[in-house]
Amino acid sequence: MVEATNDFVQEKETIVIKGNISAAYAAKSARVQVISAYPITPQTTVVEKLSEFVDNGLMPGTQYIKVESEHSVMASVITASMAGTRTFTATAGQGLFYMFEMLHWASGSRLPIVTTIASRGAAPPWNIWADFTDVMSCRDTGWMTAFCATHQEIYDEVLMSYKISEDYEVLLPKFVAYGGFILSHTSKPVIIEDQDLVDSFLPPLPDEKGWPHLWIDPERPLMFGNLIMPSGFYYEFRMKIHDAMIRAKEKIKSVAKDFEKTFGRNYGNGLIQEYKMEGADVGMVIYGDLALQMEQAVDDLREEGYKVGMVKLRYFRPFPVEDIIKIAKKVPLLGVVDRATAFGSPTGGPVSSEVKTALHEVEGTARILPMINGLGGREVTLEQQKNQLKILIKLNETGELPKDMLYGTYWDGLLEVK
Amino acid sequence: MSNDTDMEKIIEVTFHGRGGQTAITASQLLAQLAYEKGFIDAIAIPIIGAERRGAPIQAFTKISRNKPIKTYDSVVNPDYIMVFDTSLLENPRVKESIKEGVTLLINSAKPIDLSLFPKNIKLYLVDATGICINRGFMHSSGPILNIPMLGAFGKTTGYYDLKVMEKVLKKEFGENRLEKNMNVAKDAYESVMEA
Repeated sequence: MVEATNDFVQEKETIVIKGNISAAYAAKSARVQVISAYPITPQTTVVEKLSEFVDNGLMPGTQYIKVESEHSVMASVITASMAGTRTFTATAGQGLFYMFEMLHWASGSRLPIVTTIASRGAAPPWNIWADFTDVMSCRDTGWMTAFCATHQEIYDEVLMSYKISEDYEVLLPKFVAYGGFILSHTSKPVIIEDQDLVDSFLPPLPDEKGWPHLWIDPERPLMFGNLIMPSGFYYEFRMKIHDAMIRAKEKIKSVAKDFEKTFGRNYGNGLIQEYKMEGADVGMVIYGDLALQMEQAVDDLREEGYKVGMVKLRYFRPFPVEDIIKIAKKVPLLGVVDRATAFGSPTGGPVSSEVKTALHEVEGTARILPMINGLGGREVTLEQQKNQLKILIKLNETGELPKDMLYGTYWDGLLEVK
Repeated sequence: MSNDTDMEKIIEVTFHGRGGQTAITASQLLAQLAYEKGFIDAIAIPIIGAERRGAPIQAFTKISRNKPIKTYDSVVNPDYIMVFDTSLLENPRVKESIKEGVTLLINSAKPIDLSLFPKNIKLYLVDATGICINRGFMHSSGPILNIPMLGAFGKTTGYYDLKVMEKVLKKEFGENRLEKNMNVAKDAYESVMEA
């Protein structure tokens, strides 16, 4: 293993920073060895900040590679990772779509690359604001996908990601997604941890032998990713990716526990985080920035005497099926809020479709009311979220569905078409 | 001085400025100032679009003494409004945001007609532009208004003083620029007046 040297200096401090800067600090704290970057709004300040860190000598030894497109970003991160280094990049929206082909090369090669996504709406019309459709579109690429609700969680989740991804039982790349502008460009206090403590939490950087399944040696050239006949192991490799993804759930849980022990911050069981679900009549499943604001909506309605609760979904891939079933046995009705679209799917929302699938044929589980809101950064206010909870209460008590339903899904906050 | 006695209350501030007048940075600095002063939580929320120099822009800051802030939404009923440019007082969005009971801090060298506003408005004036011109505190397209505006805001609210400003400005912009920054902060701190 590579000995951590003390030239990455960081003492624990709390600073008021943007979500993007929080992501950059996390990459620095994780001592990433190779960063490749191409700017795209609203991610740009992540890689800008990292270029400052590298340029100012705060990340000695880290290679920063500027390229001409996101496709090349991922290609260079993949090859750097194959050579046995800890790697990082960030992107969003159209940039992620341009990167798409290379995403499969990363997961297919079982590389523990961590990429932050400041999610934005897919064009057209051109849109740069919060919408998770970009990262959801990568559902079947074999990348793990986690969401962040706070500025602190971005920093924390990136650190946890390296520990999960680099585990020899997992070895899969991972997205850490958060709402563009809502988290990327707002500023909040964030605790940046002591470097020694981060070093003790993370696995050591890979040594010159690299990852256990790849051996890159110029003295002994080999070809990787070449054509494999249908009778070869292609099929089996695919099965192993799925197997690793499912087994990653246990790793995610144990890393969340380790994280809490080391740094004192709790993220539920890692996959989900329940909030005031005890004694609740109805519950809301929600992810990303709106999950934090929904906590306030739950607090406010609880104060008014309504028995409501919520579940913050932290992972989309792997999907926490078992946890969702458990939650769905606690209440008769669950709302599921998507800030993303899955056109033509059972509900139109990627997560609500997934929740319905998870509960299919499981007896005694909640009815699901799928909701969609905030597409393309359309503002979702606290009042609106309180109203969403009240819709659930009403449906539960009287069976009355809200207006503005489209094929069984409630689309909240639409403009009136005159 | 501050007119909110409820320690549980989250204090909300709206910034109205024009692109290039540094109002977005002001919203971030206010979050930093409050946090440095001991507020337990703060969030700066810029409204980002395709702004250009001179276009009306908006930003919000929420600060809280002892309760975590869990919302990301825009401020609708601010406790304070800072207006960086008097020409914005004609802007419908700005007009609409000025509601009964709010405290206004306006960058203006001239008196402002109070009858323009709803009842129960507290109005403070500071000549931030004049201070910047006088001190040569300019960037490529005009005066850097955020520091004097925040100096005046600290004085009118009592949320932080010049010492806290010195600490934050040193951290944010470095020792080299500290004297220039503090000169305009101080000028505004000392000259802001209730109208």
